[in-house]
Amino acid sequence: MIRILCVCGNGMGTSTILKLNIKKICDKHQIEAEEESCAFGEAIGYLQNTDLVLTTPEWAGMLPPSNAVIATTKNLISLDCVEEALLKAIKENFPNELKQD
Amino acid sequence: MNAQQLLDLFLKQIFGQPFILIGIIVLIGHLAMKQGISKALTGAIKASVGVIVMGMGAGALIGNFNKLITSIQTSTGINGAGLNTYPTMMAGYQKMDSVLGDGTGVSWGIYTMLIAFVINLILVALRKWTKIRAVYLTGNVMIVQTGITTYLVWKFLGTGMIGTVIIAGIIMALYWGIFATLLIKPTNIITGADFTVAHQQMFVSYLAYKIAPKLGDPKDDIEQKKMPSYLNILQDNIIATALVMFISIAIIFLAIGASNIDWLRSAEGLNQKGLTNNLVFLLWITITLTANIFVLLAGVRLFVGEIMLSFKGISEKLLPGAVAGVDCAATFAFAPKSVVLGFLFGTVGQVIGLLGLIVFKSPIFLIPGFIPLFFDNATIAVFANKFGGWKAAAMICTINGIIQIFGSMLAISMTGLTWWQGSADYATVWVVIIAILKAIGSWFGIPVGA
Repeated sequence: MIRILCVCGNGMGTSTILKLNIKKICDKHQIEAEEESCAFGEAIGYLQNTDLVLTTPEWAGMLPPSNAVIATTKNLISLDCVEEALLKAIKENFPNELKQD
Repeated sequence: MNAQQLLDLFLKQIFGQPFILIGIIVLIGHLAMKQGISKALTGAIKASVGVIVMGMGAGALIGNFNKLITSIQTSTGINGAGLNTYPTMMAGYQKMDSVLGDGTGVSWGIYTMLIAFVINLILVALRKWTKIRAVYLTGNVMIVQTGITTYLVWKFLGTGMIGTVIIAGIIMALYWGIFATLLIKPTNIITGADFTVAHQQMFVSYLAYKIAPKLGDPKDDIEQKKMPSYLNILQDNIIATALVMFISIAIIFLAIGASNIDWLRSAEGLNQKGLTNNLVFLLWITITLTANIFVLLAGVRLFVGEIMLSFKGISEKLLPGAVAGVDCAATFAFAPKSVVLGFLFGTVGQVIGLLGLIVFKSPIFLIPGFIPLFFDNATIAVFANKFGGWKAAAMICTINGIIQIFGSMLAISMTGLTWWQGSADYATVWVVIIAILKAIGSWFGIPVGA
């Protein structure tokens, strides 16, 4: 199972939509995941228990160092952009989580 | 159990208690979206906890803030008021609760939100005639706006629950639908994605989109220029809130003088007698108020995600062609430098506005808040920069900052609250709406509520 963290500035609007979209994408590809969303300022508290972070390039550059894989896309609202970034990151870092059929 | 007790159980203890009401709505929403009973229950309980946490944060924030306002009042005779979104909603609810009983405000507000969402969907379903194509999905903003509208309608029209909820729901749905639809085209040009901004500066953003080309050249795009990267940290909500608080409270300290600062330290004030050093005390207030806001937002976050899941699902199922209206921050990644530019020049504008209040000897002084200062000016700058370059964005945000101060003052002079929403639309469009509600109220000779 992958623990995915969605980060945006205020941890309210964008990251919530992102969380809902990631859930949809994971269901579609049968990826077992746990989604969480938070504000940038709170991210440090979540990072320890996170495998994969999804955020914009700006926030990614300012995240504190951690073991989590960081995937970025400018368009956190678009299902297609998020799907592309998410699947690429999972393929490269967590290939076992992808159920090939 | 007799009929009276049964009525009391349902109306007051179940459908009048926000924490249960939210839980029920989330439960139904999740079940309708076929989430399964365990996920539905988890969501419902989290949402219930969120409502209580939000109340804790708001209660502490309003309590602490009132002490600051009292100290300004006793030292200068000027009434103080804060500009921030969530506390304004809670302040309105407190007024309603003081007349109608505990929990009434939030419950009515939640009903308004549901009605407004349904009317929004209907307006979009009839888009052939209404031209409204956007469904407003920004849950965190919907909660605040429906709350404030509920209070305004109740205050000025003196209506009962059903009247208040329906009138407020119609006003809300029209505001959401019309202005979010206006922004579909410019948002699409900026992001290339199929969504629109559904927030609380939609009217002014639209004006910026129309006016910016006349004020500057879109080729002067700030996104193509270099900007020091440390400015990015201003986008961190906790840091920026603390910064705005620190500056505001430092100014208040200078204005109220030593004896009033001592009163603030006393048990009657904030009860921090041990902190005799003024700078340490200033830091304590800054960090405490920031923490209060953080708790409030943490509560909102707990239930907003759950509600948005339902709203988004329902809208996608019923109206597949509709354009989703989402948080203004969704545009920020496409124009990160405009965001910082807008925040800086909006601050300049608000400072000019505050100086204006002093020069014109205004009986009310305002204390800026991070949400209206940052999110509004950032969003307006994203639109202004795209269609008129950075000079147009700087000019428009400065003017918007001034308008936010003076418009909010007008709103406060009509509502009499110690808080106002403070956003760009709430200093323009909503001042007009309040004036209309007030005029209708006095036309019919309705006594103004608390």
